[in-house]
Amino acid sequence: MSTHDLRTRVREQAKHRLPAPVVDRIRARASLRERVRVLEAEAQESRQLNRRIAELTDVVAELLIPLDARDQDRVDEVLARYQQGL
Amino acid sequence: MSTVVSDDGILLPAASRPFLVEIDGHYVWSLTPERDGVRQLGGVLVPWPGVLRPYLSGRGRVRVTDTTGAEVLYDAEVGLGAGDGPLAVVDRAGNRLCVDKVGHLTRSFEATAEEVREEIMAGTRRAIDDLREHAGVKAYLNYGALLGAIREGRMLAHDSDTDLCYLSDHTSPADIITESYRISRAMRARGWNLLRMSGGDIKLLLPLSDGRLCHIDVFVAFHVGDTFFQLGNRSGDLPRSAIEPFSTIELHGHEFPAPRDPEAMLAFLYGLDWRTPDPSFRYADPPAGVRRLDGWLRGFRAEMGLWTGFVTGPDVRSVPRGPSPFARWVAPQLGELPVLDVGTGTGRDALWFARRGHRTGAVDFSRAAVTMVRRKAARHGVDVDADQLILGELRSTLLHGTRLARDPHHLYARQLIGCLDDPALDQLWRLARMALRPGGGRLFLEFSATHDGPDGAAGTPLAPEGLVRRVDPARVQAAIEAAGGVVEELVVVPGEDLLGGDDPAICRIRAAWPARNTKDDR
Repeated sequence: MSTHDLRTRVREQAKHRLPAPVVDRIRARASLRERVRVLEAEAQESRQLNRRIAELTDVVAELLIPLDARDQDRVDEVLARYQQGL
Repeated sequence: MSTVVSDDGILLPAASRPFLVEIDGHYVWSLTPERDGVRQLGGVLVPWPGVLRPYLSGRGRVRVTDTTGAEVLYDAEVGLGAGDGPLAVVDRAGNRLCVDKVGHLTRSFEATAEEVREEIMAGTRRAIDDLREHAGVKAYLNYGALLGAIREGRMLAHDSDTDLCYLSDHTSPADIITESYRISRAMRARGWNLLRMSGGDIKLLLPLSDGRLCHIDVFVAFHVGDTFFQLGNRSGDLPRSAIEPFSTIELHGHEFPAPRDPEAMLAFLYGLDWRTPDPSFRYADPPAGVRRLDGWLRGFRAEMGLWTGFVTGPDVRSVPRGPSPFARWVAPQLGELPVLDVGTGTGRDALWFARRGHRTGAVDFSRAAVTMVRRKAARHGVDVDADQLILGELRSTLLHGTRLARDPHHLYARQLIGCLDDPALDQLWRLARMALRPGGGRLFLEFSATHDGPDGAAGTPLAPEGLVRRVDPARVQAAIEAAGGVVEELVVVPGEDLLGGDDPAICRIRAAWPARNTKDDR
């Protein structure tokens, strides 16, 4: 039997000797850790929306409204100026 | 015990104080063994920083000393890597480089002549004036320049730039980013050449008379609740009253605005021991603060510095010249429409398309790559319209998409897919949709694909430096279809990786974005 197998077997035996409430607490803690990990990832996704909002605000204010003029010379000018300012 | 210098790094006695490393008689790096190294038989091995590794091939003198230079741990000629040329950490123009406190390669102020230092001081002063008068924010001197002024009455040795901060009135990150966009627009209008480093900091590039560029960082500082945040990555407790109203400090005969309580700012930045010099100092930023700043302000240029390092470093010579096999495969399919090479890199394929008479554009998120392609195009007398496209930035994608919608092109992207994270990939499909629907152009993709052999899994890092990853063709096809595209051809064949080496599986895709029908338009 390898060291790994031995370690797994000892753990399994220990688990069976633990009272049920202790096993439940360990399971709950592991599940909490996973929930915190997921929550942190979700919080990070929400934070990233800040940049998306700022970019959309910038595009609407600096690009979309001037482009609505539909005048090609004006459109070219607006696009060139927007690019220079990025 | 003795100190050993090898390809792995520097093996030296365990110590919690800093040491300086010189190569070829010039400072390149400082380290603290206990903090930076791994204990092993014989002492602590501190690995070479990744940014130095491309330069560590050849023979030269390496010297390791304490910060005063009095205690010499190592001073000998050594051979590193496979090269037999001289060992020197220099850029293409021969300028000496060193590793700064955030791990980037940079030029040192050590050898700066007095008149050049005067230009840096005057340029920094001009930046502060332009920020106040034209961008509407009041900036104060901070970080190394503030530390040097307060502690030593001069600029610090080994410091390579000046740092300015402004205290924003905003508390919402979206407003802070919008303000930063406004600042960069105003500064560009004043003639400044600048780089955007995050949603809250820009780098002004000040040309100096000795030919190099001094970097003047302009960082936002702000409060969210009771927490003070200041870019780079600082967060913690510092009240507004420690910053405003400003005090004035003098540095090399110039007056600069400074935080109202500079000592409190320096303790916030460098800890209570800030009066004791420590060239190998590194910030100990609260992880929760870094996580917030990353989430709010960053994410669009994570690997840009590494690609720029590759394009400007010695390893770029490994990229073959002339057209790739993929370019030869695509060329007969181009017809009359012009082609845009997305993620052009060294521009080898874009230049070839242009030489064959195709109207050709080339975009890359690395400005160094764009500069390289422009230079090559001018040298070879071919017309390639090279520009920066940052797929991680919605603004940049929409700008190029708007242009391409009015000036239809094919899109060509070789070894790009494996370099992009998911948000950037989404932007690529957005660009394809905007660019290809009106004019009927095609998206031509080639990338290193997953396969059943060893190292064939998705995400397996590939050359150069793991910056390209293997991608599952089925996932790419699904993403194209989800974005409204149609895959017209998909083949997986043996081919070449980015450096021209054999790759057992590369995937080639040709996709179209059919025009929308009325139902889609609703």
